Amino acid sequence: MSARRRRPKIKDPVKRHTLTPPEGVPLTFEVASIGARFAAQLLDILFTLLFVISFLGLLLLSNLMSGDMFMIIAVLMFFGLRVPYYVITELMWNGQTLGKRLVKLRVVSSDGKGLSAYSVTVRNMMKEAEVFMPGLYLLASSAMDGWTKLIVVVWVFILLIVPIRSKRNQRLGDIIAGTYVVEIPKPVLLPDLAVRGTAAPKDRFTFQPNQLDHYGRYELQTLETLLQVKTGQLDAGGRMRHDDTVRKVAATIARRIDFAEAIARGREDEFLRAFYRAQRGYLENRKLFGDAREDKFHHQDNDR
Amino acid sequence: MSDADLIRSARFRQERETGWKRLSELVNRVERKGAPSLSFDEAQELATLYRQAMTSLSLAREISLDRGLLAFLESLCARAYLAVYAPQDSLRGLVWKLLSRSIPQTVRRTGLPILIAFMTMFLGALAGYLLFFEDATWYNTFMPPDMAGGRGLGSSREDLLSVIYGGDGIGTSGFAAFAAYLFSHNTQISIFIFSLGVLLCVPSFVLTFYNGLLLGAFVALHVDRGIGYDIAAWLSIHGVTEIGAIIIACAGGFRLGLSVLFPGQLTRADSLRLHGRDAVKLAILAAIMLVVAAILEGFFRQSVQDAEVRLVIGWGAGALWLAYFLLAGRERGERS
Repeated sequence: MSARRRRPKIKDPVKRHTLTPPEGVPLTFEVASIGARFAAQLLDILFTLLFVISFLGLLLLSNLMSGDMFMIIAVLMFFGLRVPYYVITELMWNGQTLGKRLVKLRVVSSDGKGLSAYSVTVRNMMKEAEVFMPGLYLLASSAMDGWTKLIVVVWVFILLIVPIRSKRNQRLGDIIAGTYVVEIPKPVLLPDLAVRGTAAPKDRFTFQPNQLDHYGRYELQTLETLLQVKTGQLDAGGRMRHDDTVRKVAATIARRIDFAEAIARGREDEFLRAFYRAQRGYLENRKLFGDAREDKFHHQDNDR
Repeated sequence: MSDADLIRSARFRQERETGWKRLSELVNRVERKGAPSLSFDEAQELATLYRQAMTSLSLAREISLDRGLLAFLESLCARAYLAVYAPQDSLRGLVWKLLSRSIPQTVRRTGLPILIAFMTMFLGALAGYLLFFEDATWYNTFMPPDMAGGRGLGSSREDLLSVIYGGDGIGTSGFAAFAAYLFSHNTQISIFIFSLGVLLCVPSFVLTFYNGLLLGAFVALHVDRGIGYDIAAWLSIHGVTEIGAIIIACAGGFRLGLSVLFPGQLTRADSLRLHGRDAVKLAILAAIMLVVAAILEGFFRQSVQDAEVRLVIGWGAGALWLAYFLLAGRERGERS
């Protein structure tokens, strides 16, 4: 019987970090992956380079300036696309550069207060030693002798190790500035399944309390995910697979809880929704009474 | 359908949903167009709705098992938090505060690293100077060939003088010299010296010492040709500011390195974070000083031909810096 089975350990593949704002309600953020951050950095370099080069190209074509003046503007612009660009954009857009905007990342301060101008400056000044210098040296690596190459390789190695080893994928600049980069969450409000549509004012399926004792939060929320699937957006094949799953789930649940009536074909979805409502109401009630049930193994918790 | 018919968490959601949606709307707008796009009333509304949503989230975690709702509230609150706690200073206000108060206060606070940096530079210069007189070929060992502008052991007194008083010898306008200078050797060196300081001071020390060597050997070459006074004047006009900038950058690097080496009661990461504040301000100061040095070099070095005037401008600038560091940004009750 399944009651003998142990609760499996589920490992979260995403690094998360909890931050406590001044309001005292902890918020959990998904730490940006190193790949995403690399992509954002690459995009930024690409954008700024493209902008500067096309601007200078236009300037050159329009022939407005003397050679000297042109050189100065070129030098200033190439300087500006390094540290200043990142500091100014992150200050203006609250922790986002153009690249981060596209990849949907944002810099946040790990102490829960707002991002300070100081943090932004520091994390981007360190970029000089962490991104630009090694990058330039790597580009020029063919012209270097063995020792210089070795130093650059070790340097880059250290720079890569720091964020990989870090719990929050922080690079050196992040550690000094006390910041880290998170993915911007997407708020989508799904319809509440506990609210019945006007078409079906009353559940035709009813459940007894002992039938609701089997499952916990995990199963309930998995069922919710299944029921939240927007069937209208599926193609014919997907629709068929979805209906098939619904049928199987309904059959499994009915067997597990000893549901007496037979469920007519085509009414499985209705059955599952009714079961979801009843189960959620029941579990939430138990929770209020101090009996939070994590999953279907909750009986084992009581034994101990 | 009647309310009583609903389970508790569904009622909870129904009662608050409009507020959340409104908040989501406001947050979206702030994210796209920035907080200034809100009117006064809307900004107030944002703050109120944000607090309500936070309360809802904390409640929902207790009473609701509706994952759709929880996920929505989590991400809504996270976004709203980022929108509400955005940096609120204006760029101009920040710059003013930095210049008028933070920087001079920092300089006064970091006397020790600055002293060490100064000594490093000074000892380097002394060593370079003495080594040159011991064996002049050291000059070629220290000096990268492209840096001295063709001035080497082979140059005669007249060659050297012609560079010092050469007018627009290189044939560039003030602007171009300014720009070329700004991104020359010294800027690179300052950035290096600062950012590598975090590696336990060692690279900062080596680089600063090496720059001292260069300086000492360079001066010694001119002293050897009997034009020590002229080179001192020529170097002073921008060098006082510029070498000051390198020393400040080096002090910033030392500040970082020292905080890692001697964290005291703190952990090393905490110590780095704490002292990083001062170090960064020193780095910004070094950058400002380099720009000033570039202006001095670009516009005055070749146009002012008189050695005395050069000395006055150079050391005058130095005195102004010193006055700025010592006097500006004093607040009542501050002990220096």
